[in-house]
Amino acid sequence: MPKCTIDGKEVEFTAGENLIKVAARAGVEIPVFCYHPGLSVVAQCRMCYVEVEKMPKLQTACSTMAGEGMVVKTNSENVIKGRAGTMEFLLLNHPLDCPICDKSGECDLQNNSFGYGNATMRHSEERRTFVDVDMGPVIEKNMNRCIHCTRCIRFGDEIAGIHEMVAVQRGNNIDITTIDGKQLQTEYAGNYSDICPTGSLTLKDFRFRKRAWMLKKTASVCEGCSKGCNIEVQHEGNVVYRCVPIENQQINKFWMCDEGRFNYRYTQDPTRVLEPMKRDAGELIKASWDSAMESFRAEISASKVSFLVGTDLTLEEMATIKEFAGLSKITVEHFGTQGVESTAQDGPQDTILKMKSKTSNLNGAEKLGIPAYSGKSSTDTVIVFRGGRAVLPAIKAKKVIGVGVFLAADTAGLSLVLPGFSFTEKDGTVINHMGIEQKLRRAVLPGGRCKAFSEVLMLAMNKKALAGAVS
Amino acid sequence: MLAQRKTGFLNRLYLIEIIQGLLITIRNFFFHKKVTLKFPEERREYSSRFRGQHYIKAVNEIENCTACMLCPTVCPAECIHIEAGEREDKEKYPVKFEIDVLRCCFCGMCEEACPKDAIKLSNIYEMSQEHRSVYSKDFLMEQRGNKS
Repeated sequence: MPKCTIDGKEVEFTAGENLIKVAARAGVEIPVFCYHPGLSVVAQCRMCYVEVEKMPKLQTACSTMAGEGMVVKTNSENVIKGRAGTMEFLLLNHPLDCPICDKSGECDLQNNSFGYGNATMRHSEERRTFVDVDMGPVIEKNMNRCIHCTRCIRFGDEIAGIHEMVAVQRGNNIDITTIDGKQLQTEYAGNYSDICPTGSLTLKDFRFRKRAWMLKKTASVCEGCSKGCNIEVQHEGNVVYRCVPIENQQINKFWMCDEGRFNYRYTQDPTRVLEPMKRDAGELIKASWDSAMESFRAEISASKVSFLVGTDLTLEEMATIKEFAGLSKITVEHFGTQGVESTAQDGPQDTILKMKSKTSNLNGAEKLGIPAYSGKSSTDTVIVFRGGRAVLPAIKAKKVIGVGVFLAADTAGLSLVLPGFSFTEKDGTVINHMGIEQKLRRAVLPGGRCKAFSEVLMLAMNKKALAGAVS
Repeated sequence: MLAQRKTGFLNRLYLIEIIQGLLITIRNFFFHKKVTLKFPEERREYSSRFRGQHYIKAVNEIENCTACMLCPTVCPAECIHIEAGEREDKEKYPVKFEIDVLRCCFCGMCEEACPKDAIKLSNIYEMSQEHRSVYSKDFLMEQRGNKS
């Protein structure tokens, strides 16, 4: 393998790698704004200056490919001066909005200014100001803060597959906006906020809700579809504030769709059922776990029962339910997305990330040998185990009991609801459409009086009410 | 065993010491400046840097605070609770600004961290109350003890 020297360290590289990647392997960090590993290289921000021996001027590390025997300095006097000069230029028009800006705390401009910029400013002229266009329901725009890195334009072109953001005018008057000031069309708009190195494009959903540094971060997996995008659940004080994608080159690279990004909302929906509920004279009424389990036990032992598990459950939960059902000879079937009953019917919904199956673990249910819900088996009672995202099919049965996560709107046909954990509240394993096993991690504690499926099933067995089950 | 000090008869009477002590007391009582004050009629002058009751500085009845959350971040007692919001004349302002004053240790770090000169500690030190007090935003906005 060819070798080059970065800050005195010899590093191997493969042909075509740029200096930022090679330097990162040598443990040298080069500050960047416009460069993003998932996007094309434009070398616009001029922040990644390095000095290459035998080259007369400073080079941008993002657009300079490593070469055999290249000697690169990232810390020479020239480079430090160059970076500070670039920072001064970028900050000419940047407002001192940090106390207001949602990006502060995770802002590249803040970090690099602190790390490589000058503490003082020679500029005393008035800063330019813009009137911002409405960018739709996901993104809030603030052009005053923009440093024209054009990451957003390139993201639209190259990843989201829609050319909707453009740079109009030039020089001091440059305005990064949508074509004709339209709203954003893409279903991947949340990524604009992630890749923006300043607070120019921020999430409306997250606007002023929490400062970035206060959030605790738990790496987990999105349950929005069978793609299994890697996400970070960001939460504080038992409240989830947002989900952001984390890099996984095999699955989602750096991105995620808006559907998955805002999927966490239902877990904090005020109408979510958080107490055991019993139907009494047509109305669902709060009950104690004791009395709810009493009727659950009575139902499960008296009448002919079948189980219906959502494909949004984790492997562990499905296996527990299946084992329980096997002991008492109950049939188990799965449900998830209408029209997608097996992995064979699953497939990409668009050319980017979205899959047709809108639950995370269809593959896992199939691997456990659970068949899809056919509606043919006629039982008196159907017990539905749901993780919150699976769409309930039309069930033909006298009684339907729901265990798991239900919003008030989902409980119409249910005679008994036992609250369970949502995907941010439990640990577990899911298998995505490619067969990759990934772990969900508990980020927050479940509210109300929710219980895990395993606990519900244990309570059901404890009173020996179930014929044929182990005591 | 402790060594017993051998003392004379006069010394053992302690009369001289008692008289000496009384003289000090009499001198301090009648001829020295008093260190105590007749509070609340008389009040002590504190340094202008004394850290007392909090207030949020307002200009033209608009609070300086932009709910940047630096004070709850820096607060070692974790006694400041802020909720941010948006209104027409101000992009970001605190909808809720509460200081749990019983938890506060009056270290003044919030004042030091504030980029907007909004949260301040005044010279007011009479803060005793009969109930657990949490200063609300309205209370803090009253400019009680505003120094400037």
